[in-house]
Amino acid sequence: MDIIKTFGGMIENMVPKNPMGARRLLLMGYRAQRLALSALAGKKLPPSKRYVARAVMDVIIRALAHPENAAMVSMFTPCEPLSVAGITPYSIETLSGYLSGTECEKVFLDHTAGEGIPETMCSFHRIFIGAADTGLMPKPKFMVYTNVACDGNMITFPYLSHKYGIPSYFIDVPYEKSEDAVQNVAKQLKEMSAFVGDMTGRPVTEDALREAVGRSARTVSNYINYLGYQKERRLPGDLTSEMYAVFMNHILLGTKESEKYSRMLLDDIKKAPINSGLRLLWLHLVPYMQPSVKKLLNFNGKAFITTCDLAYESMIPMDESRPYEAMARRMVYSCYNGNPKGRILQAINMAKRTGADGAVIFAHWGCKATIGAAQIIKKALENEGLPTLILDGDGCDPSNSSDGQIATRLGAFLEMLGGKSK
Amino acid sequence: MMHYVCKYTPVELFAGFGEKYTVLDDMPDNFDLSDRIAHPNLCGFGKSVIQSALSKGIDKLVLVNCCDTMRRVYDIIKDSGTCSFLYMIDLPHKCGYCQKEAFTESLLHLKSAYEKYTGKQFDRNAFKSAFPPLQRVSGPYVGILGARVGREIEAMIKKSIPFPVRNLTCIGNRSLSMDINALENVPDEKQLFMIYADALLSQLPCRRMNDSTARRCLYADPNLRGVIYHTIKFCDYYGFEYSEIKDKLTVPILKLETDYTRQSEGQLQTRIEAFSETLSGLENKKAKKRSSIKEHFVAGIDSGSASTDIVIMDQNKNIVASVITPTGGSAQSSAGKSLDEALHKAGIDRSSISRIVTTGYGRSYISGSDESITEITCHAKGAHYLNPAVRTVIDIGGQDSKVIRIDETGAVRNFVMNDKCAAGTGRFLEMMARALGLSLEEMSTLGLNWKEDIIITSMCTVFAESEVVSLVAQNKAVPDIIHGLNNSVAAKVSTLVNRLGLKEDFMMTGGVAKNTGVVHAIEDKLGIKLYICKEAQLCGALGAALFALE
Ligand code: SF4
Ligand code: SF4
Ligand code: SF4
Repeated sequence: MDIIKTFGGMIENMVPKNPMGARRLLLMGYRAQRLALSALAGKKLPPSKRYVARAVMDVIIRALAHPENAAMVSMFTPCEPLSVAGITPYSIETLSGYLSGTECEKVFLDHTAGEGIPETMCSFHRIFIGAADTGLMPKPKFMVYTNVACDGNMITFPYLSHKYGIPSYFIDVPYEKSEDAVQNVAKQLKEMSAFVGDMTGRPVTEDALREAVGRSARTVSNYINYLGYQKERRLPGDLTSEMYAVFMNHILLGTKESEKYSRMLLDDIKKAPINSGLRLLWLHLVPYMQPSVKKLLNFNGKAFITTCDLAYESMIPMDESRPYEAMARRMVYSCYNGNPKGRILQAINMAKRTGADGAVIFAHWGCKATIGAAQIIKKALENEGLPTLILDGDGCDPSNSSDGQIATRLGAFLEMLGGKSK
Repeated sequence: MMHYVCKYTPVELFAGFGEKYTVLDDMPDNFDLSDRIAHPNLCGFGKSVIQSALSKGIDKLVLVNCCDTMRRVYDIIKDSGTCSFLYMIDLPHKCGYCQKEAFTESLLHLKSAYEKYTGKQFDRNAFKSAFPPLQRVSGPYVGILGARVGREIEAMIKKSIPFPVRNLTCIGNRSLSMDINALENVPDEKQLFMIYADALLSQLPCRRMNDSTARRCLYADPNLRGVIYHTIKFCDYYGFEYSEIKDKLTVPILKLETDYTRQSEGQLQTRIEAFSETLSGLENKKAKKRSSIKEHFVAGIDSGSASTDIVIMDQNKNIVASVITPTGGSAQSSAGKSLDEALHKAGIDRSSISRIVTTGYGRSYISGSDESITEITCHAKGAHYLNPAVRTVIDIGGQDSKVIRIDETGAVRNFVMNDKCAAGTGRFLEMMARALGLSLEEMSTLGLNWKEDIIITSMCTVFAESEVVSLVAQNKAVPDIIHGLNNSVAAKVSTLVNRLGLKEDFMMTGGVAKNTGVVHAIEDKLGIKLYICKEAQLCGALGAALFALE
């Protein structure tokens, strides 16, 4: 813990004067951590979760070390065309999450505050903009983004595309779910694939895309199977693993790594012991750095998270023979697109599948899409008999969270569930 | 009556059904109804729409899929079931062919939804005649830009600014350019709506569109004399645009942040008036007009929320007497009492005072004064008098903190103020002192002997208070906690200073200037030296007196 603090402090001190040096230092730190991950650490974790920690770390290292072969994307961008073209995609949320995990987020947050960027904006975006503005983040080759789930993208991406002077492609997804909308988005995805081909000089063929989407389909089906086992069994894990799952089911979806991960998960859980602890369904991001949440839910057989709606938001069957439509349908029918009804239905579905005792909606500071819907979702889930807690906090800016308050609320909620059902 | 909120709304369509329509832009007094069913961290405009829908029984409301907030506002109102016709139009973010087609479909959907709701028929002629003629405006003006302003603020701005004012926010710059007569020859309804959709989408983009570069023309207009940039708390689009343009503009700009309620009208008024004074070069004109008059004594009264300060000055700019008394009762009675005390101290009577200028929050409530000027302009003047080398004044008072950039004559060049929240103000320190059971004097020096570098992570006063309580529970040393608090105030203040840029010399005024710990923390954080003098608390009154002399 203190090693991280010291390391983070070093990075923070270096950023204003020598951002390139800070980047090198950060990269060194991440490489060292990568080694540690494969050698000794994570012993408590099952193989699948150890694997995913390394795989995500690899992506971040590649993005920092070889920006000329990397693309910035938003979390809900279908990345199959990028992986087919051999490009490393990385998202704002992941990178900011890593910086915050390294405890060097403050220098970036302060920088954006000094620039007059609203402090009410989601901290993932602010940290990322700060990292780009100060020069810590290298310039990627290009960017692809979409409006699904997050207005922040409509701010951050145009700003950075302009600032870095790099091309971008924006996928405009209609709010209303319909087959017209799917066709509209499929057209854009075709255009986007051509754009990726132009950018890289490596054309994205439909055959290669079919293969990738096929992998996506298998991954999704493995993951859904895995969730079914959660009802009885429990794989030991920490909060970070849940966020890695989100990364795997989005940014890396369609890659061999992602498929391998889903297979490993399934194997692991089949072998995992039966457990009768409290099962939580988590909505929106998991604050994996929040001390109180860690204390209550990390490696805890008595209460744990079975899955998070960010990890399953677009789990719908895919027809790999029509790759553009399959990807488009994932976006249009994502439960994060359109009104909250989609999120509610999907949550009820997943709560049944995983035998959830309760649900937690994490109302991340600045994320209007989720905080605005929180009350409606809570009401609907409780009508279905699923006790639901709205937990206010911030996933990566500690100054917007009160740890004591979170500890009390979540603790009391777990006590309540424990008394009720088990 | 159909209510709408966005310039992309096809209001002419409603005219085609004989429906009347009006903009929903009232600023409520509070959000009590909204806060009951919606999260408080939505933008104030979003909450005001919920509040209006719930309190005014708005029956027909058409929204636009503008941003995450608006989408949720729609969901929340729908869930509450208060509107009989509630509709949200799906507005694309791009203007390509695909999107225009999709938007045409959205308009046709709306049309049939409305047809179904009323059972009325669409009348093409009524539709056609609803298009307002294109307006061309010329001549210098001040533009209101950024997030939408409510009609109350718009009126306030129009009243205070010495130029014509143009509201260029959301609805204000609705302008469709299409040839209405050409519609005559379009037999096909779909085609007609395609033209309509095209005209709606081709308006000057708002910041929410993916490509909003065309907005640059708003800032490059040679007739633009100044910009009042409005932002709404928790609206990121416009707060962000402000940060992008603030350094590029060549005309003066004032940032106004509101929560879209009428709660802070007094503070807004002060800022707008100060801006208006900058625009018209008020100080210079006044100086010219009055320099010929020879007078004996003048008085400056600074009527603040915490204290009322008086300075009496002779015609040679010497301070003859000054008093600082806590404001009690009304501004008027406090000012009267303090003035008597000051006259007594100076040994003169009321009739020897030839001019009185008032400043501060209570300035307009004091009768018998010759003029009232905002505390920003007065502060600058006073600071210049105390130390002519000063270019940046950092004023931290009980309720607010401000940073003022002044030029070599003491005139205001630019300024920023904190938002409504108490972080980084005297009030924050007061509450923390209370949490620690200390007096403000003790707070001021105790933190100097710190050993452990404690970081207070919360900026919000309420969170910080519980953080302090838990630090005390952990047996952390009080000086270390205070040092942490001082640093947190310094961080907030530095953000304001950095927004204006660092320019020497620096002076600190206001009650918090007496807090040695905070002063040191700001100096460390910014790497600067602060000029502080014992008259600093009188700065506003001093400036007012100087204006009275001029
Ligand atoms: S938390 Fe919300 S606002 Fe932040 S990146 Fe995610 S979706 Fe966007
Ligand atoms: S920001 Fe744009 S879309 Fe939103 S209400 Fe204003 S004009 Fe309409
Ligand atoms: S003020 Fe901003 S956040 Fe609020 S509705 Fe308008 S664009 Fe959305």
